[in-house]
Amino acid sequence: MSDTVETSAVDFQQRALQLAGEQTSAAWLDALRYEGTEQWLAAAWPGRRTELWKYTPLNSLQRGDFRRWGAGQSCDLADDALLTLDAIRLVFVNGEFDAEASDCQAAEVVRFSQANTEQRQVIATHLGKIVDTKRHLFASLSNAWVNDGVLVHVPRNAALKKPVYLVHVSTPGAEAATVNQRTLIVLEDSATAEVIEHFISDEQAQNGFVNSLTEISIGANAALTHYRMNLEEEHLLHIGGVHVVLQRDARYHGFTLAEGSTLKRLDYQIYHRGQGAHADLNGVYLPRNNQLLDYHTNVEHEVPHCTTSEVFRGIIADSARAVFNGRIHIHPDAQKTLAELSNKNLLTSDKAEVDTKPELEIYADDVRCAHGATVAQLDQTAMFYLRSRGLSETQASTMLSFGFVNELLQELPREEVREHLHARLHTLFAKEHFSA
Amino acid sequence: MTEQVESLIRKDYSAGFHTSIESETLRPGLDEEVIRFISAKKDEPEWMLDWRLKAFRAWQEMEEPTWAHVHYPTPDFQALSYYSAPKSMANKPKSLDEVDPELLETYAKLGIPLHEQEALAGVAVDAVFDSVSVVTTYRAKLEEAGVIFCSISEAVKRFPDLVKKYLGSVVPQKDNFYAALNSAVFSDGSFVYIPKGVRCPMELSTYFRINEMNTGQFERTLIVADEGSYVSYLEGCTAPMRDENQLHAAVVELVALDDAQIKYSTVQNWYPGDKEGKGGIYNFVTKRGLCQRNARISWTQVETGSAVTWKYPSCILKGDNSVGEFYSVALTNNFQQADTGTKMIHLGKNTRSTIVAKGISAGRSQSAYRGLVRINAGATGARNYTQCDSLLIGDRCGAHTFPYIESKNPSAVIEHEATTSKVSDDQLFLCQQRGLDAEKAVSMIVNGFCREVFKELPMEFAVEAGKLLEVSLEGSVG
Repeated sequence: MSDTVETSAVDFQQRALQLAGEQTSAAWLDALRYEGTEQWLAAAWPGRRTELWKYTPLNSLQRGDFRRWGAGQSCDLADDALLTLDAIRLVFVNGEFDAEASDCQAAEVVRFSQANTEQRQVIATHLGKIVDTKRHLFASLSNAWVNDGVLVHVPRNAALKKPVYLVHVSTPGAEAATVNQRTLIVLEDSATAEVIEHFISDEQAQNGFVNSLTEISIGANAALTHYRMNLEEEHLLHIGGVHVVLQRDARYHGFTLAEGSTLKRLDYQIYHRGQGAHADLNGVYLPRNNQLLDYHTNVEHEVPHCTTSEVFRGIIADSARAVFNGRIHIHPDAQKTLAELSNKNLLTSDKAEVDTKPELEIYADDVRCAHGATVAQLDQTAMFYLRSRGLSETQASTMLSFGFVNELLQELPREEVREHLHARLHTLFAKEHFSA
Repeated sequence: MTEQVESLIRKDYSAGFHTSIESETLRPGLDEEVIRFISAKKDEPEWMLDWRLKAFRAWQEMEEPTWAHVHYPTPDFQALSYYSAPKSMANKPKSLDEVDPELLETYAKLGIPLHEQEALAGVAVDAVFDSVSVVTTYRAKLEEAGVIFCSISEAVKRFPDLVKKYLGSVVPQKDNFYAALNSAVFSDGSFVYIPKGVRCPMELSTYFRINEMNTGQFERTLIVADEGSYVSYLEGCTAPMRDENQLHAAVVELVALDDAQIKYSTVQNWYPGDKEGKGGIYNFVTKRGLCQRNARISWTQVETGSAVTWKYPSCILKGDNSVGEFYSVALTNNFQQADTGTKMIHLGKNTRSTIVAKGISAGRSQSAYRGLVRINAGATGARNYTQCDSLLIGDRCGAHTFPYIESKNPSAVIEHEATTSKVSDDQLFLCQQRGLDAEKAVSMIVNGFCREVFKELPMEFAVEAGKLLEVSLEGSVG
């Protein structure tokens, strides 16, 4: 590590603290902010020798000049940028709530700043308590920066009638803007909900850093379906985390899809804390150009009789780099665990790179665990077959690339999401640089 | 099933005896003086001493690695003795008749044939006792074929050009903490050179024995297979049972030039410590092979011993069309810990590698597979297949998998598969219902689990490995 990098890391850390000082959140969040600041100060800056950041240099973050918070403004998005969906919709532009674009009539969904006493109690109980900042450095920064956020709180035995649709838009500004995005989802026993998180940006949003953190607590026998789409413009830096705690017989159905950017790092942490809990998490990552996209997932099986199924597919084009790390940790008493992880990668260019590491750490014997990882290019025989049927090279490779990830898209229960992504991927694959 | 089986298979570490033999052991501690002493003792040329000192100075700057999934108190490097030799070896005996009978007795007890006429199937053996090579058998016959097989200290004197050219060419002095330590203080080991186009007429083998207390063993093996040659090399190791931990830090370098083939097999049976986890060998080994064009290196290892193992036999596939293979069975029982695996670095075009790793954990042991498959941008058409399976016996052991896969070439095809499961009750029930007792049933299932690896071992070793597994698994079924 050269000195310059070290200095710029310190600069970034200092600027981050200044930003934290400028944040004007309610006094009842002060304790969390104080705690976050302490942790941020104490944490070592990750370098090449930090295992969790081995393949993901933070240079672009260090180089960025993040001195000011993003400000709300009217945004000019393409017509098809958002889902057409009958939902409880909250729109944030550069981290600021946009009341006009939102449609929030449900008592279960509220911003932190609008929370009543009871809801504040829920926030105080869960916010910052689900995430383990040791495994996710930027969570402590998120704590230090906490201002507003969204609480989805579904009471016992209730079901949300409409899905919750959270839209985070980044728009261009003269200076680099910083956004701290925070979501807390709490499902009491036997509750059900569906939440869609959608990150997009204006085509011109050239500079900015989004630090996002979603904490999820799923009570006994409750079920959450959660979509997270990171479809921002490629110069926007994004570091995000999703942390899920599952109680007895709880279910979490997660889906995540991301396009790359100069730096995009997404962490998923799932904790099985009650017997019979089930989590499935499917993901698709599509970096291209000169992008970097890093997914780190970690599933902690702390109790017996839980199941996990995780499938990630990636298509890496141009000079892009994808990093995938999938860890499954079975604790000593977590017998009768079933856990599976599969990671498949398709490299479509000579300069593309993928670094994948599926990890198993197992301390119980009566378990069935498997993981698999593959890296390959488009099947030449399949290409030949399609060409011989009269398809152009672009058409053929689009079709094959699509087939590679479609398995995961097809299963999505929410039709609007499926169709939106379908259309989006079609345009993406058809672009010239995605041909083999 | 529990108690009956436990008593059935509670056998002891049979190689755990100590030979009382007069030894010359250097005072504990490590400084330049010690290195000068070792070098002088071995009558080494100046360049060799410089090489060692360079490594030592690098080592002083380095820190012990902590990334491995093992826990142990850091060895006190100043409390170890870095040289120990049986006194009777002071004037090196010319033939087997002059070797101390106590020493021969030791090897006879271990079942290692040093008498050529008694040796089965003609395996040439280099026997290393603490810090020195005791004897190398079948030398005459090997020399006829042009094969050089001797201890490394002898090679430094007799074949300085070869040693100078290749020593440290695959594992540089500064490679890692233990490799640097080894480069500074290595005492003995084997040197093999197979000339162009020669197929080595017999299996070569080295047998390592730690005997003296408070010593560390640091052997260095260098095998050079010249163009178009072939050699199969076996390595075995044992140590007496002692309460304190002893250190073994070896370096093995393989060089396979164009079209050459090296097959390196290890049966590692260092003393693993007792049932409470007391004592045992710390086995920190660096093994690496370099493949030139069309060359092939194949590592086969059966790891049953050592309290702590830290070992990653690797292949650098530099030449086009070269092939690397790694077959491993790592069995841990009681309090043993193993962090082992391989690295396959694909540099050349159309390079291929296969990794088959089987881990068996029993008792309170922890075993980890850690592997790296790296495909560099130039490795067009590279192919890797990795399979690592773990078998768990007992509910307090752990099995872990840390595979790193890095690919920079789209034409490369990499597959990795890992599974973890236990010896299933159904399988046990079926075997027992067919009249096998529980111990036989477990042993059969485990042997079946490891078959893919055992079939890669030379015949005599495969038999030994199978038996070793049975013994090592003792007390673990329940």
